Formats: sequence, C-alpha cells, structure tokens
Amino acid sequence: MATDTDTLTGGDATPDRDRTGNAVINRMENLSEATYAYLLLLPAFALLTLIAFYPLISTFITSLREDQTRGAEPLGGFVGVDNYVDILTGNARLARQFLDVTVSASFPFVDLGTPFLQQALFVTLAFAVISVVFETVIGFGQAYVLDQEFRGRRWVRVAIILPWAVPIVIQGMIFFLMFQPEVGFGSDLMQWLGIFGPNPLADSQDAFIIILVADIWKSSAFMALLILAGLQSVDRSLYDVARVAGASPWQRFKLITLPLVMPALLVAMLFRTMDAMRVYGLIESTAGCTTVPSLTCLVVEAMFGGTRIYATAAAVAFATALVIGLIISVYVVFFRDTEGGLY
Amino acid sequence: MTDTQSRTETDDTAVFDDAQNAELDRGPFQQWAADSIENPERVYRAMFYVAAIFFLFTTLFPFYWLLMVALTPEGQLQDIVFTPNGFNPGAFVEVFQTIPFHWYMFNSFVIALASTVLVLIIGSLAGYAFGRLEFPGKVPLMLLVLVISFFPPAAFFIPLNDLFNTSFFLLEPITGDGTLYNTPGAMVLPLSAIFMPLAIFILTTFYAQIPDGLEDAARVEGTTRLGALFRVIIPLSAPGVATAGVLTFIAVYNEFFFSFLMTDGQPENWAPILEGILAYQGQYEVLYHLMAAASIIGVIPVAILVVIAQEKIVSGLTAGALKE
Repeated sequence: MATDTDTLTGGDATPDRDRTGNAVINRMENLSEATYAYLLLLPAFALLTLIAFYPLISTFITSLREDQTRGAEPLGGFVGVDNYVDILTGNARLARQFLDVTVSASFPFVDLGTPFLQQALFVTLAFAVISVVFETVIGFGQAYVLDQEFRGRRWVRVAIILPWAVPIVIQGMIFFLMFQPEVGFGSDLMQWLGIFGPNPLADSQDAFIIILVADIWKSSAFMALLILAGLQSVDRSLYDVARVAGASPWQRFKLITLPLVMPALLVAMLFRTMDAMRVYGLIESTAGCTTVPSLTCLVVEAMFGGTRIYATAAAVAFATALVIGLIISVYVVFFRDTEGGLY
Repeated sequence: MTDTQSRTETDDTAVFDDAQNAELDRGPFQQWAADSIENPERVYRAMFYVAAIFFLFTTLFPFYWLLMVALTPEGQLQDIVFTPNGFNPGAFVEVFQTIPFHWYMFNSFVIALASTVLVLIIGSLAGYAFGRLEFPGKVPLMLLVLVISFFPPAAFFIPLNDLFNTSFFLLEPITGDGTLYNTPGAMVLPLSAIFMPLAIFILTTFYAQIPDGLEDAARVEGTTRLGALFRVIIPLSAPGVATAGVLTFIAVYNEFFFSFLMTDGQPENWAPILEGILAYQGQYEVLYHLMAAASIIGVIPVAILVVIAQEKIVSGLTAGALKE
C-alpha cells in the first residue's frame, strides 16, 4: 500500500486510479468507530446472508406450503403447519417416518408405528446420546493420558488427533470395509461373539452399532482436546492440598477435577451433540440411509427421492433445526447454575 | 502388557527393594504387588501405560488395517486382520489408472484452499471488528453468527440448490451456462459460510489479545486503518490466522454433505475426493482394495497437517469452542 506518502504529499503526481483509492481510504479514516466496524463486518454478513440466512428463511417458507406432486409448479398453496403435523404424526409421504408413535392406554403408553430404529427422530437422538456419553468417557481417558509428562507425548497426541482429522468419507470407508462380510474381519468376529447377524451393514441394529463405533472412534479426540484444556487450567496445588488431606484419587477427581473441568466439558458435549444430530455422511458411506435413517437422511431422501415432496423435505429440515435448538436450550437451562456457567 | 511394564519398573528399583525386603523371597509379580501396596503411584503409572497403549492401538489400528487391505491383491480379500494376503503395492498405482483420482484430489485441494483464503480474508475483517472495536449491536451480531452452526446443512440445501442451478447472466462468460452447479463456487461459497463462524471466533480471540498500544503507535506513525490491520494486527496474530486456516482447510477437505450433493460426481466438474473414493464402487464389481488404497492416499494430506500443526489445531479447537 503506497498510499501513506501519497496522503502526505497530496498525491498530485499519482494517476487517477490511486486518487480514487485515496478518496476511499480518506473517507474510511473519517468514519466513526461504529461505522468502521459495520463496514468490516459487511463482507462476512453479505456471504452469510446469501448462503445461510436467505436459505433458512426460504426453507421455512417452503415448509409451510403444500407438496405438489403433479404439474409444472413444484409447490402448492400455503397450508400452515400441516406438514409439521404430518411428520410428527407419522403421516408424511416419506419412505421412512420422522416420528411414528401413537398414545395407547396400556403400558408403556406408546405404540411404535414402525420399529424404533426406523424412526428418524429416535435413531438420531439415540445416536447423539449414546455417542456423546461414550465420547465423554473415552475423551476423559485420552485427556488424562495427554495430561501426563512422558517421552513421545507429542506422537501420542498426533495419534489421538488423527482420527478426528480424517475425511468423513474415509472414516465411513474404513468401517464399511471392516464390516463388509467379504473383506472385513469385523463381521465374522461379531458373529462369532453372537452380537451381529450375517450381514451387519444391512441390519438396522447392527449397522447402528457400527456407525456409533465409527463416530466414537473419530470424535473422541475432539472431546479429549477440550477436556485437556480444562484439565490444564486446574491449579496443581489443589491436588497437593487434597493429597495431604487424605483424599482418595476418586475423591480428587470428583471434588477437584470434575467441577473445574465442567464448563469446558459442557461446551464440548454441546458441540458434539449438535454435530451428532446432523449425522449423514457417515451413514451414507457405510450402511446407507435405508438401514439407519437419520434426520438429515430423511431430508436428502425426500429431496432426491423423485417424489417431489419438497415442502415435506423443508419441514423435516426445519424440524431438525428445532430439535437441535431444543437440545441447546436444555443444555443452557439445565446447566445454567453449573459453576463457571456455560459461556 | 501390565506384567512386562511392571517387571521393568521392578528392575529399576530392585536394589532399593532388596535392601528393604532382603528376608523375603518373592517372584517379580508378587514383588510388584507388594510394592504397589506400599506405593500406589506405581499402579497409576502402570494404568497410565496401559491406557496410553490402548488408545494408541484403537486410534491407529484402523489405518494399519486399511493399509493391509490395500496391499492385498484383488480376489484374496478374505479375513485380513494383521497381515495382508499377499503383497501388491501396485494398488497405489492402479488407484490412479482406474479413475483419475489425482484429478479428484486436485479439485479437493483447490476447493479447500479457495475456501480457506476466502474465510481468512472475510473472517479477519469480522474478527477485527468483533475483537478490537466497540459498536452497538456487537453481542447480537455475534450470536447471529453463532446461530448458523445450530442448523443442519440440509436446512440450507434446498434454496441453495435452486440458487446454484439458476442461470445468472453475469456468470455466463465464466461457467458457460451461467449456473454455479458443477463449479468450485457451488462448494466454496456454502463451505466458507458454514465454517466461517468458527474462524471468526478464533480470530476474534487472537485479535483481542494484541495490546492497543501497538496499533495506536502505528496509527500515530501515519498508517491508515486498514494498513494497521494488515501490517500490524494480522502479522502479530499470525499464529491465530494459521490456526484458523488449518482448521478451515481440514474442515472443508473433510466435509461430506455439500461435497456430495453440489456436483454430479465427474472430476471435470470439480467433484472432490469423496466422489473419487466412492467411484471404485462400480456397477459390476467393487474394487475394495482400491477403495482402501485411495482412502490411505486421501488421508495423507491431513495426516501431514496434523503432524506439522498439532499445536495450532489444539489451540484453535480450544479457543474457538470455549469462546463460543
């Protein structure tokens, strides 16, 4: 930027292009701090508006309209929340339902219209809860290992981060091959243990477990790194005090480590839950959406299934976002009183 | 495993133990058990080694196994656990002969680099505003950025798909038919927008840490506002910019949803590495060993990044997530 000296000399000898450049820079110099801030935010918000805010609003409006399966127009008139009612009552034109339960008089007071693992909401929630619980436990273990001083720690850390950095499609490919009966040993091993059936990738329950394991393998590292950050912020002298006071390792963990790591841990869990609720690529590249239908699977199937149910697809997409929003509010409300707070 | 570990530990302190328990004739294991009772720290150390080896095994074994599958010749792919059935390193050449896998990799690199540059430029400006300037509406605007990460990519997809399939007169000289579908733009734009919030939060944290005095000094010297940003703030927060860059690159390279749906899967139409790996699943035969070999090749770039930039990745994930 050669404009500094130009401003001082008045820029007489500079060509026109530079003079207009000077004018812009001069004007920028004279802006108030707030206006300057908005100017700097403009590119980011322009991109976010085009790619995120506009599509979100548009998706929402689409979700309020009727599916038009025939004719030139892909969408019919406004039907309000009908699409949402349909997907929540299991009456949508979807190949697999979002939620399909009816209330009954006898225990357990709900009837499943379709099997548990064929209802997208349950599949996704179960996936999110189980994977986050396992990732938290394993992440704690990994963080404890990385928190120690030992030779080669750098390389152990590389090994632990590595699965996190693997592209989703390759993560899927590894577990697809491992449990593909023709190639992998996983299928034989699990059959021998009596856990899996003959073709685990085509069986909802077996495939669900495979996808869980694949996700835990990849994402525990993320948990571990955030927990590690929490662990390293703990004042070491607290442990010495506890040891002198005769606290057992479990007491030291429960009374010192856990409360101090809690804020970092909650943020990590929140992020992982949000991510797990959006699972799609892993399923698509291993068992496929027919075997394990997640919420995002439903949207993609509705959109590309050739049945032209775009409004339903939009409603499912938005309902997914609402479920995620609900989970976030649960985290925020439930853990508001945690020491250190969530944010 | 515990046993060997403990035995070496016992050896180290053998002299000391002999002096203490000279009258007892114990085997190494009993010796270890007795020592453990006296000194529980030993047990924790042993547990630590067991845990470290366990985690190393579970994280690295899938990669090792993938390599064994890749090295096994086609037709002998049964029951591979620890060793390949045969030895066929030629698979790593076949990968490029069967389909133009290098083309897919090139596409992925271009898309990831372009997104990273875009995110860093736009995110730097926004991060500077959020980190160093005071203005009304700062917190609501930051929350608005954060809200984006709540939505599943599917919620953006339908209108974006329409938008990218719409012909724009202005784009006709560049893309031919005027649409963004099947161009890098169809992936760079949404991926930049989706991964920008994380970059903005990381950069905000780093920019906020630079002392005001340095910027003031530059301004007194006659530097323009933008000059101060690009010549003082950004160079000083180079580690933060590198962190945001590495994380964005990995995130874009690894992304599935848009990469899978925004092209028709042809390498000449900018399909990324993901489509390449899935392309070995042909109509008549599935080339499992090539899938494995291609997966290994696809992991190498991110593996190198992890080895080189592990500190940046750790600090970036921590700063980004804990800030949000």
